[in-house]
Amino acid sequence: MHKVLAVIRREFVERVRQRWFWIMALLGPVLFGAIFYLPTLLGRGGGLKHIAVIDGTTTDFGVQITDRLNRPGPQGGTSFAAARIAAPGLTDTVRIIDSLKHEAEAKRLDGFLIVTNATVDSGKAEYRADNVSSFATNGALDNALTELVNAVRLEREGVDPEVVKRARVQITLATQKLAGAGQGASAAQSFSLAYFMAFILYFAILVYGINVMSSVLEEKTSKVVEVLVSSLRPFQLMLGKVLGVGAVSIFQFVIWGVSGRFLFAQRQKLIGNAAGAGGDSGSFFQIPHISGETAFVFAAYFIGGFLLYSAMFAAVGAMSSNEQEARQTQQPVMYLLVASYLSMFAMINDPGSTLSVTLSLIPFSAPIAMPVRWAAGNLPLSEVGLSLGILFVSIIAVTWVASRIYRVGILMTGKRPSVKELVRWVRTA
Amino acid sequence: MSTSILVVDRITKRFSGHTAVDGLSLDVPPGVLYGLLGPNGAGKSTTIRMIMGIYEPDEGSVRLFDDRVGVGGRDVSARVGYLPEERGLYPKMKVIDVVLFLAEIRGLDRRQARTRAMDWLERLGLKDWTNRKVNELSKGMQQKVQFISTIIHDPDLVVMDEPFSGLDPVNAQVLKDTLFDLRSRGKTILLSTHIMEQAEKLCERVCIIKDGKKLVDGTLAEVKRTHGGKHVVVVFDGANGDAMRIFADRRLVAKSDSSAQQAELELAPNADPQEILKALVQSGARLSRFELAEPSLNKIFIDLVGPAAATAAARPEVARA
Repeated sequence: MHKVLAVIRREFVERVRQRWFWIMALLGPVLFGAIFYLPTLLGRGGGLKHIAVIDGTTTDFGVQITDRLNRPGPQGGTSFAAARIAAPGLTDTVRIIDSLKHEAEAKRLDGFLIVTNATVDSGKAEYRADNVSSFATNGALDNALTELVNAVRLEREGVDPEVVKRARVQITLATQKLAGAGQGASAAQSFSLAYFMAFILYFAILVYGINVMSSVLEEKTSKVVEVLVSSLRPFQLMLGKVLGVGAVSIFQFVIWGVSGRFLFAQRQKLIGNAAGAGGDSGSFFQIPHISGETAFVFAAYFIGGFLLYSAMFAAVGAMSSNEQEARQTQQPVMYLLVASYLSMFAMINDPGSTLSVTLSLIPFSAPIAMPVRWAAGNLPLSEVGLSLGILFVSIIAVTWVASRIYRVGILMTGKRPSVKELVRWVRTA
Repeated sequence: MSTSILVVDRITKRFSGHTAVDGLSLDVPPGVLYGLLGPNGAGKSTTIRMIMGIYEPDEGSVRLFDDRVGVGGRDVSARVGYLPEERGLYPKMKVIDVVLFLAEIRGLDRRQARTRAMDWLERLGLKDWTNRKVNELSKGMQQKVQFISTIIHDPDLVVMDEPFSGLDPVNAQVLKDTLFDLRSRGKTILLSTHIMEQAEKLCERVCIIKDGKKLVDGTLAEVKRTHGGKHVVVVFDGANGDAMRIFADRRLVAKSDSSAQQAELELAPNADPQEILKALVQSGARLSRFELAEPSLNKIFIDLVGPAAATAAARPEVARA
């Protein structure tokens, strides 16, 4: 055991000393934060837009739309500072557009909206801008125009605008989960929790699994392995390696957890300043509440998934002679992991489907599938227990096979073994 | 038997194409410098790996320190130091950390390991490199670090596979001195080499193997006596006259190993060395040395192993361990 501890210690200390560990530790929360906040930030369209309204109408529609746009938008949404320019004839419109182009190029103007009588009659308007792909800006203009055109048309038909206003009602559909990970969590919250857990699990298992592989490969290519196996059993070496890298990953999570909490606590300041508006309302992604049970499920499946996959990655490292070969050999293992990650999207939509249940029982996909189902929906504990049981048995079986491949592979150089040879290694090792 | 440090009993190891070691037995008494000699591909490294427990023999057994040890040196790694043929250290680790780690996995306590590591690093002139990374060191320095990590736990048996390969003369001398020092403290050293001059200077006992089989073993004197015959060393001083014709005369010379400037001759049975001297002088050769001598180990080696083996390549080993 003293020897295994020495291996664990080496793996841990050498890794934590490396610069990339601390870069990951510091960048991790920032990156994860960005993953959640970027869609929100982009969706917002960036606050205040300066636009010109080129009014080619013969009615007061141009004035009305300008007024409507100048009303403050919803919190966190797009607001406009609109200025009306009258363009009585077609030639005026062309002339004004030409002169405004320069303003837009100089970034003094975000874009210009062209309205004519046809806007009210047939619903056609034109918006020209450098950036016409902002959903938020387009959506806000669309809303304003639709609302106003509707009102004008109804008015023409003799309906009182006040009646129109009273008839309009904003629907807000509040969704509540019945039971499971965070009782009372909203759909948006459990979606983002599921997404978040699946992503981190996938990412961490992949990164640290590959860490185990490169560690095996480093000992093989630097030839240090022969001295090691003259003092250690190959299994002791593999065990120490997996546990050492595992300890690094848990340390990384602790750092992420602490700094993530801090960032979360400071989010109003950080995000508020960046976007000019605070809060997450209207965002698809929300930072969910993470309960103790959820943390346990996450930790259990991370540790299980890591042990399962790192044993496979260790075997891959042992049967390869160099980085390129390892990159090829690792593909089957990678496919298993990527497929599990991608299946998350199907599972979030229907966590109770046969596919979801099957995936959460298969040991190779369970480490990602089960936490996703846990976060997304109502899950009987017996299913979690069964899945963990299968995972546990599989870890033992896979480690047994992997350690036999490892034992022969680390001392072998030259040609990569065929599947037939691998089977023989496992049998005779 | 009970006095031997290492007993190898009829071990055989087969790899997927060929038999690397074939029924080989060795007996290494304590406190000697033992040479395992053989051409490339003779099975030296495979034998050593079986002694160390890295490979399991297909047949036969290895006993260390008078214990029956199923898997060889690994279980007694605290008492054995091993320097493999393929040297290797962690390139990105600090020198001191590598040495400490390798000492720890041999069961040495970390604090004790640090004291000894500092002593050795100082002794071998690497003190200033203690906290540098391994890949910043020259190859010779890396060899020294490797050597330190082989013997830092003060093992009773040191097993070294081709310890001199890649060493410059200065470092080779450092290694030799250290080996003699270890031996004088009662340690046993087993080393493999295919450089016979080295083996002749270092080893008290040798075993020559070829194709995985033992050709001869015993003390150096025994081997020379049984495989010697009468030998003459001739060194020319410029002209060698008609020497080549005289050396080819099978009535006088049984075998010769000669170059333009010197020759080692094995005399034919009943031949008189004085006749050869007379013939050489008459042929106009100028001699700076003419000496009745024991055969060199190199000569015995080449006689036994044959010239064909000198070009045999080491076989790639596809382990089926």
